[in-house]
Amino acid sequence: MLLREVEYARPASIDEAIRLLAEHDGARALAGGQTLVNVMKARAASPDVLVDLADLAELRTISFSADQSALEIGAMVTSSQIVGSSEVEVARPILAEVASTIADLQVRNRGTIGGNICVNDPTNHFPPLLVALGASMTIQGRDGERTVSAEEFFLGVYFTAVGEGELLTRISVPTRSAGTGDAMTGITLGAHGTYIVSAAASVGSVGVRIAIGCVSSVPERATAMEQQLVGGDYSDAAVKAAAAGLGASLDPPSDVHAAADYRRHLAEVSAVRAVLQAAERARG
Amino acid sequence: MTTVETTKTAALEKGTAKGQSVPRKEDRRLVEGQGTFVDDIKRHGMGYLHFVRSPYAHAKLGSIDVSAALELPGVYGTLTGDEVAILTDPFFQIAAPPGAAVKDYALAVGKVRYVGEPVVAVVAETRELARDAAELVEVNYEPLPVLVDARKGQDADAPILHEDCEGNVSYSGVWEWGDLDAAFAEADHVVKISELHFDRFNSTPLETNGALVEFNRGTGQWTIHTNNQFPGFAAIMMGPAMRVGLDKLRIVTQDIGGGFGNKITSHPQLVVCCLLARKLKRAIQWTEWRTDFHQSMSHGNERWFHDTEVAVKADGTLLGFRTKALDDAGAYLRYEPLGGVIWAQVAPGLYRWRNIRLEFTQVMTNKAPVSPNRGYSRMQHLWLTERIIDIVAHELGFDPVEIRKKNYVQPEQMPYETPNGCVYDSGDYPRALDIALDLVGYSGLEERRAEAASRGKLLGLGIGLTLDSGTNNFGQSQLINPDLQFSGNNEVATVKLDIFGEVVVTLGTTPQGQGHETTASQVVADIIGCDVDTVHVRVGHDSYWNSHAGFSGTYASQFAVTGLGAVKGASDMLAVEMKKLASMVFQCSPDDIELADGFARIKGNPEAALPFMALGAIVNANNAGFPEDPPTLNCRFVYRPPFDVPDKETKKGQLTLTYATQIHACIVEVDPETGVYEIVDYAAVDDCGTRINPQIVEGQVMGATAHAIGAAMWETFAYDEDGNLLTPNFYDYHVPHAMDMPPLKTGSIESPSPFTSLGTKGMGEGGGGGIHCVCAALQDALRASGGAIVYDSHNPYHRVWEMLQDPGPSRANVEVSAT
Amino acid sequence: MSEPTTSRTVTVTINGTMVEREVATSKLLVHFLRDDLDLTGTHIGCDTGNCGACTVQVGGEAVKSCMMLAVQADGLDVTTVEGLAGDSGVLTPLQRSFGEHHALQCGYCTPGMLMSATALLEHTPHPTEDEVKVALQGNICRCTGYWNIVEAVVAAGKSGSA
Repeated sequence: MLLREVEYARPASIDEAIRLLAEHDGARALAGGQTLVNVMKARAASPDVLVDLADLAELRTISFSADQSALEIGAMVTSSQIVGSSEVEVARPILAEVASTIADLQVRNRGTIGGNICVNDPTNHFPPLLVALGASMTIQGRDGERTVSAEEFFLGVYFTAVGEGELLTRISVPTRSAGTGDAMTGITLGAHGTYIVSAAASVGSVGVRIAIGCVSSVPERATAMEQQLVGGDYSDAAVKAAAAGLGASLDPPSDVHAAADYRRHLAEVSAVRAVLQAAERARG
Repeated sequence: MTTVETTKTAALEKGTAKGQSVPRKEDRRLVEGQGTFVDDIKRHGMGYLHFVRSPYAHAKLGSIDVSAALELPGVYGTLTGDEVAILTDPFFQIAAPPGAAVKDYALAVGKVRYVGEPVVAVVAETRELARDAAELVEVNYEPLPVLVDARKGQDADAPILHEDCEGNVSYSGVWEWGDLDAAFAEADHVVKISELHFDRFNSTPLETNGALVEFNRGTGQWTIHTNNQFPGFAAIMMGPAMRVGLDKLRIVTQDIGGGFGNKITSHPQLVVCCLLARKLKRAIQWTEWRTDFHQSMSHGNERWFHDTEVAVKADGTLLGFRTKALDDAGAYLRYEPLGGVIWAQVAPGLYRWRNIRLEFTQVMTNKAPVSPNRGYSRMQHLWLTERIIDIVAHELGFDPVEIRKKNYVQPEQMPYETPNGCVYDSGDYPRALDIALDLVGYSGLEERRAEAASRGKLLGLGIGLTLDSGTNNFGQSQLINPDLQFSGNNEVATVKLDIFGEVVVTLGTTPQGQGHETTASQVVADIIGCDVDTVHVRVGHDSYWNSHAGFSGTYASQFAVTGLGAVKGASDMLAVEMKKLASMVFQCSPDDIELADGFARIKGNPEAALPFMALGAIVNANNAGFPEDPPTLNCRFVYRPPFDVPDKETKKGQLTLTYATQIHACIVEVDPETGVYEIVDYAAVDDCGTRINPQIVEGQVMGATAHAIGAAMWETFAYDEDGNLLTPNFYDYHVPHAMDMPPLKTGSIESPSPFTSLGTKGMGEGGGGGIHCVCAALQDALRASGGAIVYDSHNPYHRVWEMLQDPGPSRANVEVSAT
Repeated sequence: MSEPTTSRTVTVTINGTMVEREVATSKLLVHFLRDDLDLTGTHIGCDTGNCGACTVQVGGEAVKSCMMLAVQADGLDVTTVEGLAGDSGVLTPLQRSFGEHHALQCGYCTPGMLMSATALLEHTPHPTEDEVKVALQGNICRCTGYWNIVEAVVAAGKSGSA
């Protein structure tokens, strides 16, 4: 509660938002505020200027790319919007399934996908999911747009490829093709609670992508496990065998909820469960 | 289909209102957002208080510089420990030596002893500014070694918290009843348990502590609007420290957002508010932050049990036990060491063993001070007795149900005197257990276990029994400090008939959701013959105008006995006066008068009836010409339970008046791959004697169940080795949410207390029944996968996984020998 | 063009009444409601956005007013617990149901619970028990264990509109 004094602006266009972010030292974009406002309440961070993106309607849309190969999700799209989106339901339903378990309804009503990934808290849902889905992020600055892959996007807690004076504008998620299956699972503190460990998997025609959350400051790709599954054998035994060694390859933190060893173990279990479920869904 | 199912039992003889679930009088204002909670109160020109708190668990205090804060425009002033040490005396200590030497002030003086300890208070025009200014206060700390683990508190190299105490022990005492040597000689088996641990948590009421304090310079009196739940205790602590008589401390409460014992010991912060209201000549507003609450307020007692030995006969008869309890009091003794005796209210649990020895040692550590928490000190002890039963059953191959029934105090033995002179007033434990088992589907347990196994899950059943010992005999405090001058108990109510016939009731209590306005009305309505709706119970406690007594408050499961006992006493007095007045009017005998439907009338003659309004008017406004003094129709009654001071030599005596029972049973399913578990069925059966309002009673049982489930699975105040609390907010201190709750079935039986005027028993705490039964259910589930012994009251998923991975350490904790 | 400032004039329609105030940009909506407008039915139970005692409706959706700046509500409709029964003083079926089912004890979480549940009933007039639990997952109650609250909301849905 009780924030430090902060300057606030509410731009009417993306260009104006980028100008404000670029021109003011210590400026930060305010999306849904479901993390940033809390951080400011704790005074763990005190931006000098908040640039509220609330009026940027073009960041609140969900649409398809011109070639229909990707869902284009605006950075200011809320979790509740994703849950209720018919485009998501058709093109990549895992996004809605996962969004519906983020925090609680009030947070989902205001919290945005852009905010969720720019914060990149290790317990957040979207970062590992978007890595597993092979999503990409579009970042706009004064000099124009650039696009980075999800893996390039996440650099650390509160640290992403979005540079000073730049704005994340949209997230592109490949649309689901036949034979694709996605799943995300993990261990939480209570139902729909904070993740202790999470794992997201996407099985497709070219193999499987697996990302683990809560084990480092960025989502960790389980590349060795992915490679062992290249042959497409998603039997119980094969997936479990592929996961062996995944835990040992990680260096997760210890905290009050789980020691590092427990996290290593849960990472393996969660990865196996995510892949098995994704494979089952891929089979239809 | 709802998750709550209540078994109905045959209704007992009832009055009209008593025994019915009448709607709560409190609800209307609360559902409209019109309750008055302490942070809602505003005064012209009030200053907002923000505490500068210690970032160190143990440090010497160096210089403190508040000048930068004072320079900020809008800052009204500050208060430091140095000022407090001049203006006040240390708080009275309940402890005998060595704990008696603790010097506890409203702000840290000389040293800080836990993270979050208030060091400086800053007051400013707005909440935000007070916080800004607090950040400008410069405090120099010289860090000292930290004591976090109570087990190391008596080591030669242990850091000493309170130098005047010459060690960290605040209280120690040996409690022994019966003949332990004979019991162990008679035993066929001795089960030894080297270490059990009851974890640190509390009930985290949703509203934190707070106050709005005004000082009247003309009268020298403070008015303290607060949500403290035991104003009688707060006043006793504050008055001597502030060097003023208690009449100078007017304590007012209204709606309180939960308490659970956690709002008893806010007296240090209230003193700071009082001193600042006087110093700054303005009203002071203080609302605690959630983080502050977690770091500093009223943690539940963490307790270890070492070297427990249980004497068991071959047929499963339990003869007795001996153990060493090590209690972690935290940094100051705010209500402690009363926890050192409170457990003895339930020394044998629900069992008939006659030989008990418990060596109690309490140690101070660099953690938040402990204070009462729902089930205070009995919960820890009942967890021990229930753990003992299940470990004995596990190790010796007894059925957990049968060994309980065999050793329970039986209904025909009631009232039952325990080995330490407490008297269990009534109850039928075997019947309550049968109902609970029936509700969770005990008869199909093995089929369910097999079905769960087919899904790769481990299923287990657990039972947890609790006693809500209620209506304390405060004379028990003399068992830990023979010089204390407290004994007995009391509560006060007034009931009056006002000028227009309104029935007005005042209470000394400070309810936090228990519905006192409603249940008091039910009792009054039945006695004086009116509708519940026409009884007005004043909201909240006001020590200036309300009747109150030294033990007034709402704590320790007693309202249905003390509060309603006082209400009944005052109502009976009023009924006598009303009949007398009517008889004076009708010139008949008072015995010919009956009170019903809002009238005083001559029995058998409905024409001769006076409405209550007429009675009220005669006394208050139309009394000329009366042949003799009419009654006042304003009656005050002090309820006092019939207690003696317990015997200080033998430590025997009646420590509480009534014993309500809750029997909990649950079924859990464990995922052996991860240790994650889920409660899939849960039942709680309550017996609190005669129920005035069954719906309110059931609500209390549900709340106690939820607290216990939270404590068993998620809630813990965990510290790192530097004394930092790792769970200072609701992110890391996960309290159960709606989706976390298992399906619940409730049941009840009524065994009226022979010792109370209404047959009621105090209830509400529930004594952690859910903790006991979750522990038992986990142990039962793990039996099929290594047979680990559950040794901690708090079992997060990672602990269950560790027990699955390697049951060895937990099993090494237990040893069985034949004698 | 919009330049950063530390205070702004906001216009908010609260419980049907338009309010225009100058407000510090750092002020949380919950403090604006409680301290500036004296709408003290909206409560504060934590400082991390977990407890939901401060839940209000903004633009027809349940949100936590401690995780929103007052200036973010500019131009929007806000409904607080005081706005449920309104000036008529007639309780909503949900408010009545809370009393009938003993869904409150201390009453501190109740305004937030009512606001979350009211939003649910507006979107889903006849919710199942599971739907209610999902909708209330962001609201902590420490007295009741939630069972009676869930029951009260389900019953209000069965009885008719919110």
